[in-house]
Parts: sequence; structure tokens; C-alpha cells
Amino acid sequence: MITIKRTLYVLAAVALVLGVYGFWSRLALGERDVNYGSYVNWGLWVAMYLFFAGLSSRTFMLATLDYVFDVPLFRGTGRYALWATIVTLPAALALIGLDLGHMERIWKVYLQPNFSSLLAQLVWSYSMFFLIAIVSLVLAIRGQRRWLKPVMAVGLVLAIFVSGAVGALFGVNPGRVAFQNAMLPAQFPVLNLASGVALLLVIVAFFGIVPERERHGRLLRVLGLALAVLLFAKSYFLWVDYSQVLYSRVPDAVAVVEIVLLGRYAWAFWILQIGLGILVPVAIVLWPGTRRLPVAMGVAGVLVLVGLAVGKTAIIFPALAIPELEGLAEAFTGPHLDFDYTPSLMEWSVTIGVVGLSTLAYLVGTDRVPFLKNTPEVAS
Amino acid sequence: MNEHAPAPRDAGLSRRGFFKGALGTGALAAITAYEVFAIESDPANPVTFPAPSSPLSGPSSQLSSADGQVDVLERMRVELLRALAKPAADRRWVMVIDLRKCVGCHACTIACVAENKLPPGVVYRPVIEEEFGTYPNVGRRFLPRPCMQCDNPPCVPVCPVTATYKNEEGVVVVDYDQCIGCRACLTACPYGARTSDFGLTYGEGLPVAAGQIAGAELTGQYEKVENYEYGTPRRREKGKSPIGNARKCHFCLHRIKVGELPACVTSCIGRATLFGDANDPTSLVAELIARPNVSRLKEELGTQPRVYYLS
Repeated sequence: MITIKRTLYVLAAVALVLGVYGFWSRLALGERDVNYGSYVNWGLWVAMYLFFAGLSSRTFMLATLDYVFDVPLFRGTGRYALWATIVTLPAALALIGLDLGHMERIWKVYLQPNFSSLLAQLVWSYSMFFLIAIVSLVLAIRGQRRWLKPVMAVGLVLAIFVSGAVGALFGVNPGRVAFQNAMLPAQFPVLNLASGVALLLVIVAFFGIVPERERHGRLLRVLGLALAVLLFAKSYFLWVDYSQVLYSRVPDAVAVVEIVLLGRYAWAFWILQIGLGILVPVAIVLWPGTRRLPVAMGVAGVLVLVGLAVGKTAIIFPALAIPELEGLAEAFTGPHLDFDYTPSLMEWSVTIGVVGLSTLAYLVGTDRVPFLKNTPEVAS
Repeated sequence: MNEHAPAPRDAGLSRRGFFKGALGTGALAAITAYEVFAIESDPANPVTFPAPSSPLSGPSSQLSSADGQVDVLERMRVELLRALAKPAADRRWVMVIDLRKCVGCHACTIACVAENKLPPGVVYRPVIEEEFGTYPNVGRRFLPRPCMQCDNPPCVPVCPVTATYKNEEGVVVVDYDQCIGCRACLTACPYGARTSDFGLTYGEGLPVAAGQIAGAELTGQYEKVENYEYGTPRRREKGKSPIGNARKCHFCLHRIKVGELPACVTSCIGRATLFGDANDPTSLVAELIARPNVSRLKEELGTQPRVYYLS
């Protein structure tokens, strides 16, 4: 386990170094070097914002299994899940902040909000959620369980709301037929739960946070099984989404699905989302030969996380790749006026840097913060 | 409607008038070009452009014509002045684009870029071209696409800080100093009518040139000239609005305010783009939008665009 942790430290540090160029470019030069633009106006950072925001809300939900519902199997995991919430939400906020043309004006959303905007609702909700997560962590560190339960119960409700609202952010756009899917607000909480379970699986498998051998094995099996169920649900959602569109034959919506299944993003869908993100991990968590191996289970968790992150990009990029009016793409050309989107080097750099930073924060926390360093059993 | 129906009674442009206009424009362009380069050759004297004229200055608000024919531009300008005399809330600006007259010259696009000093990647009024039919029965048509200034605009409620809204004249505007640059309005617009300013300039990468060649310094100076969108002088400078903002067509409100028609209207060589107050029943646009051959883009969405197309 120590070797895995060291490897993760090295990878996270390398990722952070790779991110330096992106951070410098974004902060010094603005958005000049991004590839998203006026047509595909939300790119990699927004997709990763969705991913990290979902991860934070769902790790919080999983923390409630320990702190609110007192599930014996999850005893001692709450603190690690809560710490994951604390480090992933800033990653989400950093990515969406860097995506803003004027990030220095973010205060306006707090002081001059337009609450008819889902975006404003989300900023407020996520801010409240982050506050609740921090308060929960403080209460957990102090061992004040009496206050911790109601606070986290409120946070749990908020976590469900924010997850669905992010889906609604897309679903309410009349201009994009592929987003007009009432299922999105229903799907996001489920997909995000899969990411939370996958991350907890990684933490349990790699960091040895549950010292009792028997409970450790049982927890891995339960998380693995939950992951398999959630991945089946994800597969069903994908089938529902795409089959309905294809049967309906609405041209713009069909074009979006064709981009995902057969077009420029097909490799990401079939290889990363379906192959590595669903089939391989389901095989790992269900096959008796691998489901007993913590390392294999941890790898399955990592693969699911990658698949779900790619899934977020599959919701955004293809839907924005269809011109609102036929011929718009050729009507006036120029930089940032393109319907074919591939993230720029700078966008990748920032994303990798943020992933590295949050991973590093998580690792340092588990090694340096006494509350996380000592498992309950060790502490007692 | 009959495809060959006569144009509005005052829509004609006499040949003599055309040549007069062309000669006048050419002479003016030559003088202007000389002056600009003359100024440019003196680095101590940076290029300056005049501020918009005072409100409602210019020609008389009465229609007059020696040969009895009045250019629609004249008619629309008189109607504009009449509308400006009313309270703002009583005006209903609409644009009518006659697709049968549009020849796809893109003059409106360029006029808009010049008027609003639009940088690379920002466009308010592209002209969409379409080829249709099968040889030998083929044709081309052109669809200028400004902002639709919807009466039920999907871009407005999504803004988290109310930076975009309909002003009292019903034009959807962007408060550059309020916009946080989230681009939610770009996603929401069903017409792709908003673009984001990513801070690029046309002069980047150009070599430095001396004399009368348009090198980096000359182009750079032009791009730093203030524009007057929304009636406020504003230079594009790093980190400052409108860089980082959503930008869109605003019917040239700054021109309207001083009694001038939008740049795309005055630059249209075929008089295909028409503008006016639909609340004035005698206005040209009010006449035209009552015709049966009028349509609007994506009407099924219920956005109620204020841009009408004649076909």
C-alpha cells in the first residue's frame, strides 16, 4: 500500500508540474489559448467541473453512511469520504472559475444574483454545501456527533439537490435539442453516486483505511457490488438516451448521438466510457479471481472514475457540435468559431494540474492531518 | 405572396442617384484614406476618430426628393426620428430582412465589424449561405442572422447576474461591466447569435511596417480605437470588458440614439435590411411585417423574434 501511495504522490506531483504552464497561460494571458469558443462554448473545464462537483456531493453522501446512519460496515470511512468532499469541491470550483471570462466578478453572483438562473442557484447551493462540508469536518474532528448528524443530514439533502440541478442546467436549454432531456436531472445523481462509490473503493483498496481484514474485504465486495449495480444503471441510461433519440429521428438530436457513437468522439465513448469505464471494472468487481484483490478493486475504481469523467464530456461536446442554424459554421470563420472541439494543450494542462493538486491535497491530508492519519482503531 | 410583387412605393433607387452616390462615396473614401495615412505618417499624432454626432442632428425629418422617388433609407431615417420623439417604452424596434433582395455581399457583416470594432472570432451578423436544388435547377440563398432580439429571450433568464436583459425599447442588451463571462447565454440562444470575446486582435503577429503599409502598429492603433456600443466609449484592453464578455448585436443602439440607422441597414446595397418602429402603423416595417410572406426563425420555440424575414 505504501508503494501505491508513493506512486500516487509522484504522479500527483508530476501532474501539478504539468499544470504550471496552463495556470500561467490562463492567469497571465486569459482565455486566448483555449479551444472552446463561441459555438462549443463549454469545454473540458466545464465537463471536469461537473465530474468533480458530482464527486464531492457523492463522497459527502457516502460519509453520511458512517456519520448519520451509523452503518457498521462503513465505520471509520466517513472521515476519508468527507476529506474527499473537501478536496474535490475546490477542484470543481477552480475549473469553473478559470472557465469564466471575468472570474474576478464572481462576487456578483453572491451580491447581485438572478435567482431565476439555474447557474446562480447552483453557485449558492454549492457554496452552502461547501460550508456544510467544512462545518461537518470540524465537528467530526472535534467528535461532536450530536451536532454532526443534523448538519450532515441537511448536507445530504443539499447534495441530492445540487446533483440534480447540474443536470437541469443542461436540460433547460431550448437552443440545444440534445440537452432537452428531462432524464438529465434524474441521471446525474445516479451517475455521480457511481463516481463517489468508485472513489471510496479506490481509497479503501489503496490506503488500507479499514484495518480489520474481514471488514476490509467485505467493504470492498459491497462497494464493488454497488458499483456494478450503478454501472448497469448507467448503461441503461445510455441506452434510453440514445435509443430514444435514434427512434425519434429528430435530425439534430440524431446527429449528436451519431457524433458520440460513430463520429469524432466515438473512440472515447467505446474505449474509455464503455470498455474501460464499464465492462472491465464490472468484470473485475464480479469475477471471483479479481474481486478479492484490493489492488484490482482499486484499479476498477480508477477506471470507473475515468469512464465517468469521459461521460461528462460526452454530454457536453457533441451536443454543442451541432450548429444552431445550418450553414452557421461556414458563414463567418475565425478563431473560437468552430463546432469541432478538441481541448487545447493549455486546457489539458490546467485540468491535469487541478487533478494533481487535489490528489496531492488528499494524500497530504491523509498523511499529515492527525484526524485522518490515525484510523479510529489505531487512535483508540 | 407573389414573388414579383412591386417593392414598397419608395424603395426605388434611380440610376442617376446611384452614380452620384458611388462617385461621392469614392471621393469621400479617397479623402479619408489620404487623411488617415497622412496622420499615420506622423507618429506624434495618433489616429483619432470622431465621437458620434449629437443626438438627432443631421438631415431634416421631412421626406424630400427632386424626382419624386425616395430611397427607403431616407424614409426609414425619417421614421426613426419620429419614433425617437416618442417615449422609449412606446417604440418597438424590429428588423425586416428581404431575402429576395439579399445578394450575399456580406457588406452588412463588415459594416457591423467596423462599426462595433469587433475582434477576431466575434461576429454579430454573419450571412449564412445555402445552395439548394439539383443541377441544372440549382440556386443559392442568403440568410443574414443578426440577434433576433426575442420578446421571450431564452438568453436572459439564464444569466446568473442579470447582465443581459431587455431594455425598455425591447432590445436585448449586455451590461459589459456586469457580465462574468460564464457563456450560459451563448448555450441558451437557439440562434447562435452570441459570441464571446477571447481577447484576440487582428494585428497580432503582423510585422512592423513603416510608411503607408498597414503593419502591426497601424492595425494595433485601429483596434485600440474606442467603440461606442451602448453609447459608452470603450477600448478593448487586456483584462477589461468587453474582453471576456458575451457580445451580441444590439441593433446599433448607439446609432439609433443619435438618429442613425443600424450599420447593417445603411450598408445594405440591395436595401434588403430594413429597420423601424413596428408600433408606428405608418412605418415601412409595420407595413412589411403584416404581409403573408413574412416569417421568423424557429418560431416553434416561442421566442417571438423581432427579426422578420420576407421570402
